[in-house]
Amino acid sequence: MKDEQLLAQLKKRDRNALKSVYTQYKVEFFKFATRYTKDDSLLEDVFQDAIIVLYENALAGKLDQLKSSLKTYLFGTGKFMLFKHFRDTKKQVYTDEEYSFDEYEQAVIEDVTADEGPSDYQKLLVANFKKLGDKCREVLEMFYLQNLKLAEIMDRQGYENKNVVKSQKSRCLKSLRGLIQRQNG
Amino acid sequence: MDKESLINAYFEGTLDENGLAEVARLRATDAAFDEEMTFQTELQGALKKQERQDVKELFNAIKTEEPSKPVKVFKLRPWLAAASVALVLGLGSWLFFNSGTMDPNQLYEANFEPYDNVVHPIERGNQIEDLRDRAFTAYENKEYPLALELFNQLNREQSDPYIEFYSAIIHMELGDHNQAVVSLESYMAQDGVLSDRVDWYLALSYLKLGALEKSRERLQKVIAKKSFKAEEATKILDALE
Repeated sequence: MKDEQLLAQLKKRDRNALKSVYTQYKVEFFKFATRYTKDDSLLEDVFQDAIIVLYENALAGKLDQLKSSLKTYLFGTGKFMLFKHFRDTKKQVYTDEEYSFDEYEQAVIEDVTADEGPSDYQKLLVANFKKLGDKCREVLEMFYLQNLKLAEIMDRQGYENKNVVKSQKSRCLKSLRGLIQRQNG
Repeated sequence: MDKESLINAYFEGTLDENGLAEVARLRATDAAFDEEMTFQTELQGALKKQERQDVKELFNAIKTEEPSKPVKVFKLRPWLAAASVALVLGLGSWLFFNSGTMDPNQLYEANFEPYDNVVHPIERGNQIEDLRDRAFTAYENKEYPLALELFNQLNREQSDPYIEFYSAIIHMELGDHNQAVVSLESYMAQDGVLSDRVDWYLALSYLKLGALEKSRERLQKVIAKKSFKAEEATKILDALE
């Protein structure tokens, strides 16, 4: 599959595109990265995290004007994360690092690396989020996960007015608060 | 710009420096605004972390396979699954509801459909490894007696709520609606993620058991939630009147 097509599908949160990145590059990534470590479980973690970083940056529109190939970006991210891991655990320090990740992309890398799962409050949010109707979940996921603007959601949902989406989003947040309150009270 | 639009623009990433400064100022001076910002930030964080977990589960499910081997995943997004089932049922029930009156048994037959496996994606052609794989494979292959046995075994080894849910569907398939009700109630008590599906299946089991009042109660809940099967529920309620 071509990079552009793969990126377009990733931006739609297409699971098959994620699987395709994983299966397409795994062997090669492991070959590429074994020069830095022989720890397969570390490489697996880093590889998965690197795809998630790639995915989240694609969703944020950071890869819309990608100059390199998707593979170069993925492997660069993986290498950066591997070196970051070495630095953080003070195992080894490599000096041949040359990257051009901007602040946003580095923040994503930090965030994915530091992610130790949801807090109790976030678990509560997710559990109640799942109780919302399909429409609400869809709109909120488009806004918070897919990083679509209200006007873009309007287009996709076929609404005529941005305010409809705005008030729908607001209603859905209110329902979510209501569900949480009911569970707590 | 009103405060709500300011928050939306913040999450859209379209604020300029002045806008960002205004957000910072309001967060420091307006407690309600700050609370709203915190709530939405937490929600976004929660959704992102959940998404990451889902993606990693997807990867771990294919980890052991040959990377070059094409794989097929049967994990539909829950609402897509629901939508496709709704479409099929919608057509079916339209034909059905427009062809005269029906008794509870017919209503049940026209509406019952096992719920898709949205919990555990099965990789076809892969060596069957764990109990969960075997249970869901049997379920997807409609080998219900075997599936029931495997889910019971699974239930003894781990206590994830979804086991009760799928056990209930199997009981329904096997015609044991009393047992289905027990499993569904138990799932409901555990507050599982598929809770909004439970009312629908409870309504159907009660229908089959002839407990029409209880069935109506559940159908009304389904309708009130306006999501999964709300339309079908309305039609059944109408037909029961």
